Amino acid sequence: MAIAAAEEAPSVLFDTAPAAAPTIYPTRLRPSHVLVGVAFLLAAATLSVLIGPADLPAGAVIKYLLSKLPFVHLHSGLSTTGAIVVWQLRMPRMVLGGLVGAMLAVAGASYQGVFANPLADPYLLGIASGAGAGATIVIVEGPALGNLPQSALPPAAFIGGVIAVAATFALGRARAADRSAASMLLAGVAVSAFFVAVQTFLMQRSSPGDLTLVYGWILGGLSTAGWGQVGLVLPYVAVAAAVLFACRRLLDVLTIGDEEATSVGVRASHVRLAVILAATLGTAAAVSVSGLIGFVGIIVPHTIRLIAGPSYRRIIPLSLLFGAGFLILADILARTVLSPGEVPLGVVTAFLGAPFFLVVLRQAKRLG
Amino acid sequence: MKRPRATIVFVIACSLFVTCGVSSASPARSAAVDRPAATGPGFPVSVKSGDGTVRIASRPDRILCLSPSATQMLYEIGAGSQVVGVDEYSAWPANAPRTKFSGDETNAEDYLYLKPDLVIFAYPSGTIIQQLEKLKIPVLLLPAAATIADVDSQLVELGTATGHLNGAKNVESSFAADIASAVRSADGDGRGATYYIELDPTNYYTATSGTFIGAEFSLFGMRDIADAAGHGSQYPQISPEYILKENPDYVFLADTVCCGANARNFARRPGFSVLKAVHMNHVIGVNDSVASQWGPHTMEAFVSLLARVLRQSASS
Repeated sequence: MAIAAAEEAPSVLFDTAPAAAPTIYPTRLRPSHVLVGVAFLLAAATLSVLIGPADLPAGAVIKYLLSKLPFVHLHSGLSTTGAIVVWQLRMPRMVLGGLVGAMLAVAGASYQGVFANPLADPYLLGIASGAGAGATIVIVEGPALGNLPQSALPPAAFIGGVIAVAATFALGRARAADRSAASMLLAGVAVSAFFVAVQTFLMQRSSPGDLTLVYGWILGGLSTAGWGQVGLVLPYVAVAAAVLFACRRLLDVLTIGDEEATSVGVRASHVRLAVILAATLGTAAAVSVSGLIGFVGIIVPHTIRLIAGPSYRRIIPLSLLFGAGFLILADILARTVLSPGEVPLGVVTAFLGAPFFLVVLRQAKRLG
Repeated sequence: MKRPRATIVFVIACSLFVTCGVSSASPARSAAVDRPAATGPGFPVSVKSGDGTVRIASRPDRILCLSPSATQMLYEIGAGSQVVGVDEYSAWPANAPRTKFSGDETNAEDYLYLKPDLVIFAYPSGTIIQQLEKLKIPVLLLPAAATIADVDSQLVELGTATGHLNGAKNVESSFAADIASAVRSADGDGRGATYYIELDPTNYYTATSGTFIGAEFSLFGMRDIADAAGHGSQYPQISPEYILKENPDYVFLADTVCCGANARNFARRPGFSVLKAVHMNHVIGVNDSVASQWGPHTMEAFVSLLARVLRQSASS
C-alpha cells in the first residue's frame, strides 16, 4: 500500500524540493555576553556590600574595601563596628551568595542538558529531600544523638544530599538494559518521596521550636554566612564548576540523543555520570550552608537560553556569572524588603521564579 | 576573647534557675497546686474561648490539657486533680499525667481513650475542634498571651471552666504581687536598656515587645531592638548586621535547649565579639520555654531572673 501510495504521490515520499535548512545556533561565547555578565555580577556585588541596616556611608565602605588591596593605603573613616559589618558580615555573605547562586545555576543548566528536560533543576535527583532529611535529623533528633551541635547541620545536610543522589543512581542503574535518563528521573522521584517521608515523620514528632528551625532551613538563607562557610563551600564549587565547564561541549553533543552521541564517539553514560557527580557534590555543598533555595537553577539557565541561545558552550559560563549575580541581588531584596527584618531567601527566589515560569512558558509557546 | 569563669558560672546558674524553676515558685503558688476543693459559681457556665464562647454543662473531671501554659495554670488554681492528661511539653508540675500527645493531633479519636470532658488547646491543628464538638466534648482555646493582662484573663477563664474561680482569682492576685515585687527589687535598674532575645541561632528569629516575653522586659522599662523589625510580625527574623548596629545592652538566648546556644558560641559568631553585651558579660542563656510558655510559673521565674540579672549588672 505504501508503494502504491508512493507511486500515486511520489512527490510526498521523495520530495525533491529543497529541505528547510535546520536552525543553526551560534555556539561560541560572545565577549559582549561575558562583559554584560561580569558587569552584572560586579554591580550586584557592589550593591550588596553597600546596602544594609547599619546605614554605613558608601564612600567609606568603598575606601575601606580598597584599603584591603595590597599597596593601597586609605583611611576609610569607618568605625570598628562598621569595619566588622563590612568585612565579617556583608563581604562573606556576598561571596557565599555568589558561590551558591553560581553553583545552583550551573548545576541546573547541566541537569537540563543531561536529562534533556527543561524543568530539571539541581534538586531533581533527590538532593533537596536528602539534605532536608539530614538537616531535620540533626535539628529534631540532635539531643537524642549525643547532643549534636548546630554545627553538625551543614555536614549532615551534605551527607544526606549525597546519599539521596547515590541511591537514585543505584536505583536508576539497577536495570542494566535500561540506563536511560528517564529511569534515572523516575528513581529520583522515588528517592525524593522516601526522604520527604522521613523528614515529614520527624517533623511531625518535633516540637514547635524545632519546626521553626526546620522551616527556616527549608526556606534558605545566608544570614549566618561567615568566611568559614565560604572556605567550606569554595573547593566544592570550584571543582564542580571546573568539571561542568569542561563538559559544556559534550552537553551540546548529548542534545542530539544518546545513540547519535555514541556514533560521534561520545559515551553518553560516562558524560552523564561525570556531570551528575560534579553537579551533585557542588549543589550538596551549597545547600549545606544555605538551605534550600529554589528556582535559581531554572530561572538563570532559561533566561540565558532565551538571550544567548541553546548552546551549553554559552549557557554554562554565563550561568556561573548570572547565577552568582542573581542570588546576590535576591539576597539584597531578602535583607531590605522588611529591613531591619529579613525575608527567607528561598521565599524571594520563589516570588521571582513563579512569574518567571509563566514568561518562559509563554516564550516557549510563541517559539513553537 | 578570654571569658571570665565567673560569667560562665553565672550564665549556667541562670539557665538552671529558669529550667528548674519549680523550686523558685512562691510558697503560695506551691500550696495552690494541691488544693482539692472545687469552688466558684455553679454549672453550666459560659467561658470565653479563642474561637468564641464555650458552654460547659457540668464541672469537668477529666480534663485533657494540650498547652503547657494552661497546664501550669490548672495546677496553680487547684484544678490539678481534675486533669487526666497533659501534652508531652508540659514540664511543670512534675507529677502532671504526661501523655505522648503533642497537641498537633488531627484525629479526635486519638484522645478518646482518656474519656475527656474538656480539652484545652493553645494551637489546635486541622479540624480537631470541630471533631471534638461533634463528639460533644467542649474545647477551650487559649492562644498565646501577648500581655500579662492576657495571662490574668486566661486564669479567670480556666477558673470559671473548671469550677475554681476563687482559686484563679487568688493566683491572679498573688501572681501580680510576685511580679510587682520582682520588678521593685530591680529598683529601676535596666530602665532604658536595650535587649535582644534570640529564638533561633541560624535565622535570627526573635520576639518583639508585643509578645508575652516582651511584656516581661517592658515591666523593667527595657527596649526591644526587634520592635523596628516587626512589620506586623511579633516574631520577626532580623539580620545579624542589625544586631551589631543596635549593639544591645543585654542578649538573652532562648535557644539553649533546641540549639545549644550559649554566651561563648554567641561571642564567636562573625562580628559579635565587639558587642557591648558580650564585653559586659550580659549574654544570658535561658531555657527555651521562657519564650514559648506564658504560664504564671514560667513567667514569674523569668521575671525574677531578669530582676536578679539587672541588679547584679548594676552593682558590678
